Amino acid sequence: MSQSTYTLDELMIAAMARELRGEYLVSAVTAFGLLAALVAQGTHAPDLDVLATPESGMGARPWPSVSLGQVIGLSQGAVPLSMEEIFDAIFQDRFRIWINPAQIDRHGNVNITAIGPWEKPKVALVGSRGIPEDSSHLSQMLYYLLQHSPRTVVEAVDFRSGAGYSREREQSLGRAGAPSVLITNLGVFDFEGPDHTLRARSLHPGVSPEDVRQASGCAVWIPDDVAVTPEPTPEVVSLIRAADPLGLRHWEWKPDPARLAALWQGERAELDPFRPEARRWR
Amino acid sequence: MNKVVSLPELVSRIEDGASIVFGGSSLSRKPMAAVRELVRQGRRNLHLICDIGGPEVDLLVGAGAVQRLTYAFVGFEILGLAPHFRAARQQGSLAFEEWTEYTVMAGLDAAVKRVPFLPTRAGLATDVLAVNPSFRRIVDPFGSGQELVAIPALNPDVALIHVNYADERGNAVILGDTHIDVLAAKAARTTLVTCERLLSAEALRRFGRDLQIAHIWVDGVAEVPWGAHPTGCAPHYRFDLEAFQRYLQAASDPDRWAQHLEDLRGQDHPTYLQAQGGRLGLVERLRL
Repeated sequence: MSQSTYTLDELMIAAMARELRGEYLVSAVTAFGLLAALVAQGTHAPDLDVLATPESGMGARPWPSVSLGQVIGLSQGAVPLSMEEIFDAIFQDRFRIWINPAQIDRHGNVNITAIGPWEKPKVALVGSRGIPEDSSHLSQMLYYLLQHSPRTVVEAVDFRSGAGYSREREQSLGRAGAPSVLITNLGVFDFEGPDHTLRARSLHPGVSPEDVRQASGCAVWIPDDVAVTPEPTPEVVSLIRAADPLGLRHWEWKPDPARLAALWQGERAELDPFRPEARRWR
Repeated sequence: MNKVVSLPELVSRIEDGASIVFGGSSLSRKPMAAVRELVRQGRRNLHLICDIGGPEVDLLVGAGAVQRLTYAFVGFEILGLAPHFRAARQQGSLAFEEWTEYTVMAGLDAAVKRVPFLPTRAGLATDVLAVNPSFRRIVDPFGSGQELVAIPALNPDVALIHVNYADERGNAVILGDTHIDVLAAKAARTTLVTCERLLSAEALRRFGRDLQIAHIWVDGVAEVPWGAHPTGCAPHYRFDLEAFQRYLQAASDPDRWAQHLEDLRGQDHPTYLQAQGGRLGLVERLRL
């Protein structure tokens, strides 16, 4: 497959999909996370259950939308789940989620709370949400970044919303909730470098080790024989395109308020519970 | 017992300084009409308790109604950060306590179960433990050596919840995601419900298990159509992106924000809906 037949977002989503396997509830708060789950479910991981919203809608065949998650689930007769059920699934490791943090560090700690000190932040972000729960229980923690830069890949996060590797983790959590993988616009990384630090598993086609070093705010372990991230197959590329009728992944790549309003205005047209695809969702 | 009152009467039961837990999550089914009524009635010094907070928190913070905020998250999701929450955090102008999504639920659950705390592993090896003075590290008293975090009971004075349907006794039907609403209804000393429509008890029973909140937990009910606007209320209507964009514009400038608050204070709920395009405009933009 030549370079022109897929885009970087599709390469990343395909790589994200390959990390998902087994029988789990998969929650998605972003188009990238949702599409990765749908691709995995449609190819090698048929037992995944992709939720229609971050916390409910089991058995749906959702698609990325601005405002319609719950209604997509309801119109398809998806099974409602309570928050108690979701957290039980997290505590019992029956849950997967792709998380897109503001910062991630060498040891896989992640931050969505604040840039600068917590007491007086330079930028107050959103608060830890459910990341402390995920990063203390799940056997696989999945992170991705759309922009690998010295501001997002850092030596030490300003605030640990999610638990990476640390002495504290070793003592109180062991491997439960430890970071497994980081996929960025430059490559696929894990935390199996010396002393559980960031290591490149593969670099995307055309990306050099120097590109990664330039774009990182911390040391990255890049083996000499580092692999090249496999290109997505034509089957996967068409799966992604069909699963994202609005192209919300492009908006996430380049957010723009005016374009968001247009997507929101048009998206109800896609919501036809009687269309054949909606009825044979599995 | 008939618990039906008007929206202003319902909200008048909330006192200055009350702690309030909200139903809904992010841009979904927030009790926004009741929140606007709090602003209208000039309530002050509130302690907000929210799991996934958003527009309800931001409006009350921006209106100067809040003294304390207990939160796992406050944001506008796909629309970005919450402007007044962000400004208040950066200026340190309120008392903030960062919790997490499950620990807020655990705090409410402890209140329901009348125990002082519940233990969890969530928060270990994160900085939440460092900045949250309410949590305590404990070790399993049964000798496993497991370190845990003790989450104290959250005892909200009030739960404010918007639902699809309710009957006059306060039984409440939620058709979309239930979020933390059932837990909030049980944990609060007073639970106040607004609904899209009041139905007869008989009609409500036809919804089976979608009757999520039983009347024994509920103290007051008001019928408030479009009561979650500008957040969504599945499957009746989706969130109003245009209204949010207008809100975010108003919030970006002090003069416009003052005008926005003045407008809100001058509108009862029906007038507010008229200003949002009226029934026809709302149906056209938002109906599903």
